Amino acid sequence: MNPKYAALTALIAALLLAHPAAAAPGDPDKGEAIYTQRCVGCHGDEGDGMGPGAERLNPPPRDFTMGFYKFRTTGFDDYVPNDADLMRMIRDGMPGTAMPGWGDLLSEAEMWDLIAYLKVFGGLEEEVPTDQVDYGEQVATSAESIAKGKALFKDRCDECHGASGKGVATKRLKDDGGARTWPRNLTKPWTFRASNEPRDIFSRISVGIPGTQMPSFADPKSKKILTIEERWHVANYVHSLAEATQVVRPENTVVKAGRVDGGLPHSPDDPKWAEAEPSTFYLVPQIIARERFFTPSNDTITVRALYDDTAVAILLEWDDRTRSLPGDPGAETVAGPGLSQDAVAVQLPAVIPEGMRKPYFGMGDAAHPVNIWHWQSGPADGVESVRLFDARGFGDLQERPAGESGLRASGVYDAGTWRVVMLRPLSTGAGSDIQFSEGRFTPIAFAAWDGSNGEAGSKHTMTTWYWLLLKPPTGSRPYLAALAVMILIAGAQVWWARGAARRRRDGET
Amino acid sequence: MRRIPKIPRLLQAVLVVVFFHAGFVLVFDYLLAQVIPASLLTMYMFFVVVGVFMVFTFTEDSAREMVAPIKALVEDPSKRRTRNVVFAIVPLIAGGFAYNHMLPRFEAPLELRSIHPAPPSSVKIGDKRYNLLTLENPFRETETQDPERFAELVAEGAAIYIANCQYCHGDKLDGKGPYARALNPTPLNFQDIGTIAQLQESFLFWRIATGGPGLPDEGAPWLSSMPVWSDFLSEDEIWKVILFLYDYTGHRPRAWEQG
Repeated sequence: MNPKYAALTALIAALLLAHPAAAAPGDPDKGEAIYTQRCVGCHGDEGDGMGPGAERLNPPPRDFTMGFYKFRTTGFDDYVPNDADLMRMIRDGMPGTAMPGWGDLLSEAEMWDLIAYLKVFGGLEEEVPTDQVDYGEQVATSAESIAKGKALFKDRCDECHGASGKGVATKRLKDDGGARTWPRNLTKPWTFRASNEPRDIFSRISVGIPGTQMPSFADPKSKKILTIEERWHVANYVHSLAEATQVVRPENTVVKAGRVDGGLPHSPDDPKWAEAEPSTFYLVPQIIARERFFTPSNDTITVRALYDDTAVAILLEWDDRTRSLPGDPGAETVAGPGLSQDAVAVQLPAVIPEGMRKPYFGMGDAAHPVNIWHWQSGPADGVESVRLFDARGFGDLQERPAGESGLRASGVYDAGTWRVVMLRPLSTGAGSDIQFSEGRFTPIAFAAWDGSNGEAGSKHTMTTWYWLLLKPPTGSRPYLAALAVMILIAGAQVWWARGAARRRRDGET
Repeated sequence: MRRIPKIPRLLQAVLVVVFFHAGFVLVFDYLLAQVIPASLLTMYMFFVVVGVFMVFTFTEDSAREMVAPIKALVEDPSKRRTRNVVFAIVPLIAGGFAYNHMLPRFEAPLELRSIHPAPPSSVKIGDKRYNLLTLENPFRETETQDPERFAELVAEGAAIYIANCQYCHGDKLDGKGPYARALNPTPLNFQDIGTIAQLQESFLFWRIATGGPGLPDEGAPWLSSMPVWSDFLSEDEIWKVILFLYDYTGHRPRAWEQG
């Protein structure tokens, strides 16, 4: 055979046989160089996940020396991942963690080199997976499948993930290394480490998440075993749990408060809130002032607002897996040492800025103080409270009686979500209070504390500045303008047509 | 030879205008993927329409040919039914535009800020005053004089970076760390040729040491979530991080102009 053809045939054969799981073998020596340059910061020189960045990361970086991986598609009793599983983690990264996707910086070949090197850490060089996840025939999503999945979920999953899927904690979970873990909040698909496509959810249900308390539901020894079809139903149900109102729309930076008649809602359950437009913002941990906080449990807050002639009401809604009640034995068991109250805060400038200059977003500055409305959920035997502070910079707080400014707040915890209403008159007698004004863009920022996650004082999550707008009613001007334009144009048309008709008649005569 | 049927002149004009509009959308929205203010598109289309109108009505004949279909619609009795339909629709469309235009918009005020504002000539950090016009990275010379020491310093800078900076600026130094999406203004992308490659090391030292609150007013210090790193890092640690930023990205710090 002509050597040219032989090479071509070999290439075609290789392409035909190439399975995503069995790709070109990488060069571990080249991989080591890439690893040293890109990965040691978190995963460490030894591959043990003890890099200089490790202690502030939650979840912690993977320890490659253990030789097993959480997100794989090989059989539940195997421990060797598919090459494609490793490739996916490196190329796409792990959403909700500090692991970025490297596909834009490293070439395909470089990533294979890296994979070859990672295997050396765990002694996986010669290992081949013996078993694969059996996907059977995928059940397409449908109302019926979702309903079946819901029933199965209630039976098999809600002990950890909660009936709402938000991971309401009834017990303390930990990984094999003893570190605290939280069940996934299944309503937030962007935090799924390996996507929320039904097929990926199916993989998680089938394999479990090795090293954590998420078990395999394909294991015949499990009392909770699910058939392939059942697992597809659960996957379709979990996929359907995504909550649209919790998705951040980056272009939306304004909380628009609509004007209502007949009184403002004082409770989070008031049906009037359905009239208010939700705005969701990302929460990030406070990592810029002492004491810094690096391990948050939540990442978004949803805000609605309404106002009337006399007051403004703000509804704050955020997911929290735990109702943190200091003094309550159940809550203390789940939280561990150092349980504090859950809390939320709204920050507003003491004076609505005239120009661009706002107060410093981190609790104001000496020349530009802010008001902070701080609600706390209360201890086990106590009641919720709201406090009012003037702040002039991080930690520079002065409290005033909230009652004198008419500030009120009340919260409800249900199925993994806190909902708190704060209400304050538009204007107050106190000179250091913000005086609200219809139609003016008012800076506003938020903070939240999960008391079961070690959050207290400066350890909390927060947003940067957004806007609150008391939206003036539209009024009749757009209607009047439309009417005027229509009359003008219709008049001009009639005038033109009549003129033309008259000229025609004149021409005929 | 068969002649291609002639497109009526009015339709030609409309097609040309549509072509220009589609071209604008294609180039800016799809090819360049740039956010273009609606007002700019409006202005561009205004000139397009005026230009097309001028070209298409350049001679008296061409003008007459162009308005002929409209004239016929209004004046030709046989087109009466079509005319009535058009006369009903046009005011409705115009009214709809007017209504939409008069609706209050509630778009957030634009916040203009200078991303790399001019540094002061000197800056006081703690008890020490630094002259930013002469300040240089004390470790830079090891790059040529002691490459082994330089590599150590870069590695130390990398460790400091990963424990402190990656949350916002990212593992890849691309400004896309896990918390970046929550911040406004967004963290700088050091890989980008428009950031550290355009700046001197003394500028980086100033920006890192004094953080957001150290910005002059044109940099909107009240918005930036860059911490005041002199509260957390020593002077040497900051210089090591700067070595790392240039080493990892492959950029060179901007040098002082000679002469």
